[in-house]
Amino acid sequence: MEEAVVMKNVCKDFKVLNRHEGLKGSIKDLFSRDYKTVSAVKDVTMTVNRGEIIGYLGPNGAGKSTTIKIMTGVLEPTSGEILVNGKVPYKNRTENCENIGVVFGQRSQLWWSLPLIESFKLLKDLYMVPEKEYDDMIALYRSLVDIEPILHKPVRQMSLGQRTLSDILAAFLHNPAIVFLDEPTIGLDVSMKSKIRELILGLNKEKNTTVILTTHDMGDVDALCKRIVIIDKGMKIYDNDIDHLKNYFGSYRTLKLKLADDTWEEMLIDEKTTDVMDVIMEKQKEKKIKDVKILEISTEEVIRKIYEGGTK
Amino acid sequence: MNPKRLLALTRAGIMESLYFRLGIFVTLFANLIYLVLVYYLWKAIYASSGTDVVNGMTFTDTMIYLILATAIFNFLEMFVVWDMSRSIQSGKIVLDLLKPMRYRKYTFWSYTGNHVVQFFLTFVPTFIVVMIVTHGAIKFGLNIIWFLVATVFALIINYNIEMLVAPICLFTESTWGINIVKETIVLLLSGATIPLAFFPEKIRMIVQYLPFRAVYDIPLSILLGKSGSDTWDGLLKLFGLQIVWLIVLTVAGNIFWNCAVKKITVNGG
Amino acid sequence: MRKRGLKFYMSIYRKILIQDLKSKMSYRADFIISTIGMIMTNLSGFVTFMILFHNFPTINGWDYYHMLFLYGFSLVALTPVQCFFDNNWNLRFMVQSGDFIKYCFRPVNVFFYFMSEVFDVKGLGQLAFGIGTIVYAWIKIGIPVTPLVILKLIVFLFTASLFMIALMNFAAATCFWIKNSGYVMVIMFRFKDFAKYPSSIFEGIFKVIFTFLIPIAFIAYYPSLVILSPDNVPVLSWISPLFGLIFFYLSYKFWMLGVRKYDFTGS
Repeated sequence: MEEAVVMKNVCKDFKVLNRHEGLKGSIKDLFSRDYKTVSAVKDVTMTVNRGEIIGYLGPNGAGKSTTIKIMTGVLEPTSGEILVNGKVPYKNRTENCENIGVVFGQRSQLWWSLPLIESFKLLKDLYMVPEKEYDDMIALYRSLVDIEPILHKPVRQMSLGQRTLSDILAAFLHNPAIVFLDEPTIGLDVSMKSKIRELILGLNKEKNTTVILTTHDMGDVDALCKRIVIIDKGMKIYDNDIDHLKNYFGSYRTLKLKLADDTWEEMLIDEKTTDVMDVIMEKQKEKKIKDVKILEISTEEVIRKIYEGGTK
Repeated sequence: MNPKRLLALTRAGIMESLYFRLGIFVTLFANLIYLVLVYYLWKAIYASSGTDVVNGMTFTDTMIYLILATAIFNFLEMFVVWDMSRSIQSGKIVLDLLKPMRYRKYTFWSYTGNHVVQFFLTFVPTFIVVMIVTHGAIKFGLNIIWFLVATVFALIINYNIEMLVAPICLFTESTWGINIVKETIVLLLSGATIPLAFFPEKIRMIVQYLPFRAVYDIPLSILLGKSGSDTWDGLLKLFGLQIVWLIVLTVAGNIFWNCAVKKITVNGG
Repeated sequence: MRKRGLKFYMSIYRKILIQDLKSKMSYRADFIISTIGMIMTNLSGFVTFMILFHNFPTINGWDYYHMLFLYGFSLVALTPVQCFFDNNWNLRFMVQSGDFIKYCFRPVNVFFYFMSEVFDVKGLGQLAFGIGTIVYAWIKIGIPVTPLVILKLIVFLFTASLFMIALMNFAAATCFWIKNSGYVMVIMFRFKDFAKYPSSIFEGIFKVIFTFLIPIAFIAYYPSLVILSPDNVPVLSWISPLFGLIFFYLSYKFWMLGVRKYDFTGS
């Protein structure tokens, strides 16, 4: 089996009550039956291959979380087909859960007042992990990160970084086929971020785990993902290699000019339509330019362009 | 403090209460069932006693008293202890303290919206039903106005009891324990479970002067014309008791709250 | 998929319980205050009871000691819901904040996993109160002590406990549909205060409602009749174990339906 996740024309609608404004509206809402349908996911088709780390991106409210909830079997799609590890997740929720690991936002799924090691032991029993595999996994963890300082600490006393780290370790503990990471590096400092990225890479390489990562941090994407899928307003708008993405906007350059008053001016230029030199010359007529930098387009800018509707 | 701002809080509170629409219907329905339970229990109790009047209370008196006590309980109910404990545990309390309004005031006025909604949705319908069913067992005169005044006092006293208890959460993490102790004491000693008239003489002498009575028993006595509230003298006595406790509890609550805030600022939340 | 049977669940529950108790030891003040709270509620219950009997010698033909027995019976029957299903009270907060979703990511039953998280030690105080009351009333009434009666007592206490658990499951699960289900729970919880009175006080349609719809008559009254009036046990008493199981099962299904219906928009 090569595919970890297969989705075909998956849609998900929610019914929401139309709320009215103001005090009068509140009273009216008490009896109102005025519902509207909101489509969170519209006709998404995609495949995730085994062992891949895929970046699942999109602006806030694009439908990322809903898709992940569908893949984890928590939500049933309104229409369409979905297979995770060859099974329909919402029909076999418990079974599906055995083969996935989830880190959802900043919500710890560990036992709040227990030391991490005790949580691990409980998870080992919950997932019926054989003793040997468990020991091997802990040994692997030790080789990848320094877990000693957190192992005997209750989760509620941990810093945000330590908690995230613990949650990621807990998600990989039963050696699942797929791990879902929802914004794992949000709110973390630079060094913790890179530690966590290294850990994810290491575990992916060692165990060939498929990782589906949603994030707003392009640093995560650059460090981890080879392929990205972007959705917006519930629809898939991009699905390809990250390199391809850069080629797509490959003719774009960021031009930075240092002006006489020591301020930097930044502009995005498409070399196909505009000549960089022309722009500089033009600018020089107005103001004196002290320094010039030409940069390749960054992932962040590419993504921004796509969110703003620059594709197709 | 600008009264417009306080009213804005109340208005937001009303809208928030109405937002949970199904909950309101369920609450109404559940209250009705609860009242049926109370009715049958006391009907059986009076049927077994052989007399119509026990401790100066007829069956109708007792019923009206208990039903209205339940209605007042519902509309006065606050979850300050739970709210505060949650915001302490999540650290949100620091943000609450930063709001441009004193925390005590802020909480009070946001709850007022809820109280207003609950008053019209639970108390008024209950009262009307009781009026119709008992064919005017409740006198309809000045006592209504005195009752409303007493209810406002009761509301403030109840809030102050909450605010005296809630900051204890800062010192221990026992929200459940603190809340249940408070609720048990208030419900029993305020006469919400059993009318104070049924208490043995000696206990009643003490309970009479405690603040809990001021929350349920005094407003109800005034409404029903009991406890001597039908005379000016008696009425003044009851109001006097409420006002004394109102002042004592407000002052005590203020002092205790300021101590608690100091602890928050020292510990950094 | 590896099979997870009753043995698996029992062993998991035991392990979680041990860990939970260990971590509770670290909150000593909380434990003491909660215990005081528990004792207070029970004492207040007794005081109410005493005040009632101070004014009225019998209620619906039930004298003081029979009523006391019924009271003790209800206390014991209400212990399991307090000890094992207390997390129901947190359900609405979890659902509202979206934190509830974490219970759906484990390869075990969601209901079980959710309930296993909290074991309420305080319930044991109530158990002690209840047993004490039953024993006292038992001696005063003069019920003979035979193994068969003891067995009956245990079976019917177990039966009775199912009803309150089911009621609280229903009440808690309403939060999947209505946002402030706190009121529903508070009111349901107050219903239990009426379990300690003989249900013969109800008449007409309400007799049906409180027997079959909101079955508070089964929390103490019907099951305890097996012990209190062995010569004249109503049919409803005998079928209460079956009825209890059905009611519990329905509440469980309702709870799980809520989980499935809920759209987890919290995040």
